[in-house]
Amino acid sequence: MHLGVVDYGASNIHSVARALKSLGSKVSIVDTPDKFKSIDKLVFPGQGSMGSCVKKLNETEMINPLLDAIKRKPFLGICLGLQILFDSSEESKENGLGVINGSITKIKDINKENLKIPHMGWNNVKIEKKHELFSGIEDKQFFYFVHSFVASNTETSITTTHYGEEFVSSLATENIFATQFHPEKSGEIGLKFLENFINWKI
Amino acid sequence: MSLAVRIIPCLDVRGGRVVKGINFKDIVDAGDPAEAAKRYDAEGADEICMLDIDASFEERSTTIETVKSIASQVFIPFTVGGGIKSLKDIDMLLKSGADKVSINTSAILKPDLIAEASKEYGAQCIVLAIDAKQDGEIWNVYTHGGKNKTELDAIEWAKKGQDLGAGEILMTSMDKDGTKSGFDNDLYMQLSKNLSIPVIASGGAGELSHLVDAVKLGKADALLAASIFHYEEISIKKVKQALQNEGFEVRL
Repeated sequence: MHLGVVDYGASNIHSVARALKSLGSKVSIVDTPDKFKSIDKLVFPGQGSMGSCVKKLNETEMINPLLDAIKRKPFLGICLGLQILFDSSEESKENGLGVINGSITKIKDINKENLKIPHMGWNNVKIEKKHELFSGIEDKQFFYFVHSFVASNTETSITTTHYGEEFVSSLATENIFATQFHPEKSGEIGLKFLENFINWKI
Repeated sequence: MSLAVRIIPCLDVRGGRVVKGINFKDIVDAGDPAEAAKRYDAEGADEICMLDIDASFEERSTTIETVKSIASQVFIPFTVGGGIKSLKDIDMLLKSGADKVSINTSAILKPDLIAEASKEYGAQCIVLAIDAKQDGEIWNVYTHGGKNKTELDAIEWAKKGQDLGAGEILMTSMDKDGTKSGFDNDLYMQLSKNLSIPVIASGGAGELSHLVDAVKLGKADALLAASIFHYEEISIKKVKQALQNEGFEVRL
């Protein structure tokens, strides 16, 4: 099993790579188009805005091999790696990858709770639909979040979390799984989740 | 449902070892930083903070090794502070495995550093650390580990830091630090009222009730402490249970 962590030049990929390695996986950094080929499973940790991410993927010519891999290989998107799968975002005028229908919006403070944005810290993850990647993980466990934008409406939702509004904290469709939280920073439970991804059979 | 109150043990590190002393005097060796970080992680710490207490240019490589060693074994957010002077320093620490950096004196000498770092790496990884001492109605900011008094008002400086792009404020009360007499809750309440970014309270933890009061009265988002956790005077779990009993959300 050979895992690839996509590095498009703007995100902190090292913590994800370290966490996967600590679980005994062979991990390579994917930072050029030719490196996608030898990878069995792909992890896409994102940081920053959708626009700058898509721009960098275009500049590095990794966008097509990435889209190709998303179609066929087990894929885990983290944080912006979830958001970029959507059509668009309020954050950027550039479009996302359009793999999942819908758009990303700024966190809404529906009950006027005087929320601090970004949503940063540990919050509950409520399991809405059973999925292999949550096997051995109880409902309403704490995961670590850092973000200001959310997906709030999709049929692909696996877990939800409340902060200002109810949003999608993870989603899945076929070979794709994506989380708004950071499993690589969520302690023991986060490592369990990553282990489930490593063992995930499609 | 709201965010869990974060409990952050702090490791004071010098030359690659955890050190302990009272007011930075009579410093004694207190073990391996990665071992200590692992223990805190297992005990339920929500983040780990490492402060290089006399980070100098010569010792930078030791610091980097320590950061790498902690980051390879602990998978919760990890903040590193001490002697950070430039974007290059920040870049090196983030690449070595820090998730956030805490900047104190350099931010005062060069406020643009906060703005530039926030733009480059995102507000979420820039913590503005402030050492403050009360003087009548206000709190003055001190630099160089509390040695030099400035003309800055701590509340105003924290607000400026927020505007410059800091993602969190780590405020240490010099009046309370090391006294174990409780946090300066007035200071934290003032801060919370004036800021929209999270406030980490530090200095004065001695008893369980002190930590609860800093959240209840001081409205702190996170609590940082070194010696009480290090000497196992109070366990992280006990703090969380006490907070939970008061109705606060914690990660247990």
